[in-house]
Amino acid sequence: MATIDNNLVNGLAALVLLAAFALVASQRMQTIVRVFALQSLALGLLAACVAYITGYSHIYIVAALTIVLKALLIPRILTYVMQRIQVTKEVEPSVNTPSSLLIAGALAVVAYYVTEPLIMVGTSITKNVLALSLAVLLIGLFVMITRRKAITQVIGLLVMENGLFMAAISITYGMPLIVELGIFFDVLVAVLIMGVFVFRIKGTFETLDTSFLRRLRD
Amino acid sequence: MVNLPLAIIQAVVLVSIAPLVTGIIRKLKALLQSRRGPPIWQPYYDLQKLFRKDSIVSHDASWLTRITPFVCMTAMLLAALLVPAFTTSSLGFLGDLIVLVYLFAMFRFFMALAALDAGSAFGGMGSSREMMVSSVIEPAILMAIFSTALLTGTTDLSGIANTLATSGWELVVPSLFLGFGAFFIALLAENARVPVDNPATHLELTMIHEGMLLEYSGKDLALMELSSMMKLVLFLAIAWSAFFPWGIATQLTLGSVALGLLVFALKLIALVVVIALIESSMAKMRLFKLPNLLTVSFILAFLAVMSFYVL
Amino acid sequence: MIEVLVLIPVLTAVACYFLNRRHWIELASTLGAGLLMAASVAISYQVFTSGPIQEGIFYLDQLSAYMLMLVAFVDFLVAIYSVGYMGKEYEEKLFGLGRLRAFYSLLQVLVFTMVLVVCSNNLGIMWIAIEGTTLASAFLVGFYNTENSLEATWKYIIICSVGITLALLGTILAYASLVVLVPGESGGALDWTTLVQAAQLKQLDPTILRISFILVLVGYGTKVGLAPMHTWLPDAHSQAPTPISAMLSGVLLNCAMYGILRFHIITSAQIGPGFSGTLLLLFGVLSLAVAATFIILAKDYKRLLAYSSIEHMGIVSLGFGIGGFFGIFGALLQMLNHAVTKSLLFFGSGQVLLKYKTKDMSEVSGMAKVMPVTATLFLAGALAITGCPPFSIFLSEFTILYGGLTTDHLLVSALYLFFLAVIFAAFMYHVGKMVFGTPSQPLPRGEVSRICVSVMIVLVVLTVVLGVFIPTFLNDALTQIVHLFSGGAA
Repeated sequence: MATIDNNLVNGLAALVLLAAFALVASQRMQTIVRVFALQSLALGLLAACVAYITGYSHIYIVAALTIVLKALLIPRILTYVMQRIQVTKEVEPSVNTPSSLLIAGALAVVAYYVTEPLIMVGTSITKNVLALSLAVLLIGLFVMITRRKAITQVIGLLVMENGLFMAAISITYGMPLIVELGIFFDVLVAVLIMGVFVFRIKGTFETLDTSFLRRLRD
Repeated sequence: MVNLPLAIIQAVVLVSIAPLVTGIIRKLKALLQSRRGPPIWQPYYDLQKLFRKDSIVSHDASWLTRITPFVCMTAMLLAALLVPAFTTSSLGFLGDLIVLVYLFAMFRFFMALAALDAGSAFGGMGSSREMMVSSVIEPAILMAIFSTALLTGTTDLSGIANTLATSGWELVVPSLFLGFGAFFIALLAENARVPVDNPATHLELTMIHEGMLLEYSGKDLALMELSSMMKLVLFLAIAWSAFFPWGIATQLTLGSVALGLLVFALKLIALVVVIALIESSMAKMRLFKLPNLLTVSFILAFLAVMSFYVL
Repeated sequence: MIEVLVLIPVLTAVACYFLNRRHWIELASTLGAGLLMAASVAISYQVFTSGPIQEGIFYLDQLSAYMLMLVAFVDFLVAIYSVGYMGKEYEEKLFGLGRLRAFYSLLQVLVFTMVLVVCSNNLGIMWIAIEGTTLASAFLVGFYNTENSLEATWKYIIICSVGITLALLGTILAYASLVVLVPGESGGALDWTTLVQAAQLKQLDPTILRISFILVLVGYGTKVGLAPMHTWLPDAHSQAPTPISAMLSGVLLNCAMYGILRFHIITSAQIGPGFSGTLLLLFGVLSLAVAATFIILAKDYKRLLAYSSIEHMGIVSLGFGIGGFFGIFGALLQMLNHAVTKSLLFFGSGQVLLKYKTKDMSEVSGMAKVMPVTATLFLAGALAITGCPPFSIFLSEFTILYGGLTTDHLLVSALYLFFLAVIFAAFMYHVGKMVFGTPSQPLPRGEVSRICVSVMIVLVVLTVVLGVFIPTFLNDALTQIVHLFSGGAA
């Protein structure tokens, strides 16, 4: 029945948004990585549902890639990096948790208002997920800006990509397969490169707190 | 539909099982901590003992301390009449969910005020902490229940329960889950459960609810304890009937009422087990970290309302 | 044929990685760059004489061919210069052979991604390539592994990745503006050619397209270095090794601009050039203002050059925003002239760095006495970059100004002139202090590397030639490109 599928898709989308908020509320590094993995898993399932409803089988591949890459592989890489450089357990936010949560809520409202005219145009079973995906994007950006540790900035970027992917699915049922593959590859390489640089930063500066990166200024 | 006798029976049932629910929670906690623990009927014995004793009131206390136990009890009894637990017939026409929330607010207000009345330090401390907690939680509760009110188009709690129970899959939207999550955290906060407050402690460093009860004794204490237990049961009942009321009796037949009772008992036990698990596995949060958890509840409720509009 | 073109840098990168003698690596790199240059000339000739080429995912129209020539040309010069510069640093034992190999092969990987940017038809692949340029250049920017370069690289990666993510959202929305009216997976809907045709037939959704352009402008604009997204640029361009700075400033910024231009063409075709043009104008003027401020305050000469890049990208953006024949012609010419002149300046700064061993301007003086040839070339470059005749940049900036005045953009033209004047004064002040006066340290007199100086001489000659007259083939080529932009009448 269309409504169950619809509700399932909407439910998974809400779960993705919820994970974004959980990310903002988390205070330990391990929690953040796990929440990100959970979000990617929900996202992969969402893609699979959309594939099932619309019958476009190439979305299954994309869903599988999301789950394997973002829910399994990348969290492993991040955890490995964190263990190797013995990062301290706390996330170091520059805005405290309740305020961060409220700002994230405000961003969600902003996302809703921005996408409202877009939702009216065209028809798609998942178009109302667009508002949630933009909210996840903005919250990812917010996490990047307000968390000082280098690794949380990487995770913020990955959350932005998740939001983006959800937006792509919601408006246009994803993009041509080769483009999706290329994007995944890019994300993976980006994470690897950032991992290398996190190593170097820790080695050179003895801390991952990026507020120490203030030497270059005019 | 409102069947007056059934509604009153429902209220009586709620009042009478309140101490039992508390007893079950304590027993479960004990078992989880490898103790034998008190029997599950212990709260009844405690109340019985307390009702026999005299109450002593401080010289400095005013009329407020004397009337507070009665006000609180009355508020809870009224609320019991309004909440649909195992059947949707309740005296909803007397008041909708806004009245309900404000009955709880009245309960909290009088309790906090009376705690200040005796002029003791513990009471004042408990009151201020309680007010801090409720300042964040009350909007969360309102928004969480409002999300279901928006969904079903009515603010009457039994109407909400009726609509949700009879609509099948269409109304199972993310709003419900988000609202339920928010309401559950609010339940823990309002009823002095870990991780917000430890109900078994009497250390001034760690108590909120208990601090406000220190000045009472005898019958007054019995009334306050009983109304607190009723508040817990009512919150549990609202949690199920406002969000996932399936199984509730919507018709007046004996069969559906019996089924409703059974389902209600099961739901209560389920939540009670969860509460006991949470209480045994988590430590109470430090006071200045409480706003983190409470804001999470607020945000969940906010998301519940928002996802109603967006999705 | 185009596949061959794209493969050349890849093969060169592989070769550089596996060779293990310094001179062989340098030879391979230079040969590869030369080969790329030759292939680019051949293909561009074909495009300009017989029209765009379309093969599978590749599409080369006049704009692509022009950019391709720029990339290949700067790559060739940088390859030759690197032999001198990196060779010198290698001789001074600043790093080992392994790093040298990594440098040359990563350089070619960067060139590969840039070639892919300009050759691809599919906007998604273009995005992947632009993100690829960020990733490929990350290690190059952080080459020296010092604290400052690490900071610069981290900022570069993070800020550019955020920007590019926004650009991806913009790309998705552009795709959506076509597909949302015709739901379902349209494999070709991400192709630029499809989108432009649809735009000309007014089949795209205007609201979605507008939001898409804003996102693309902000997103790719981060990579171009438009203010206020420019904060990574001074750090990255000053901390990178000099040949890489030239590469980044000279062509990478242009490639990112190319990305914006593709969307500008689509948007202009659908809703006219007013919307996107105005936005480009805004960012252009803002970049000019920011650049002017920081050029006055500059203390490090490589950062000075980086801010100058921000200024010139602002001018390019301004030119495209003004539109009309002269605005676009001038902006295109500016892209070429800036690539040539900025490379010249960065090459010169590399010589200064090798000699004086410091990036601080207050510690550099008396270049004229210590290395007269380099000093002359550097001074010429400085005059060129600030828009003095008879150098090339004067011509392109004047064309843009003419365009602005004839299309009624009077306030913008006034601001443009004002900032140019301010930058001229500040820049020449700084360079003057560096070139003239007595040497700050007792240094041996003499040029640092003959190869490097030769490259610089070639560039100066080119700047002067282009400043005096524009060859016919260039004129025709640019005119053909202008016609690609709707609103480029005449």
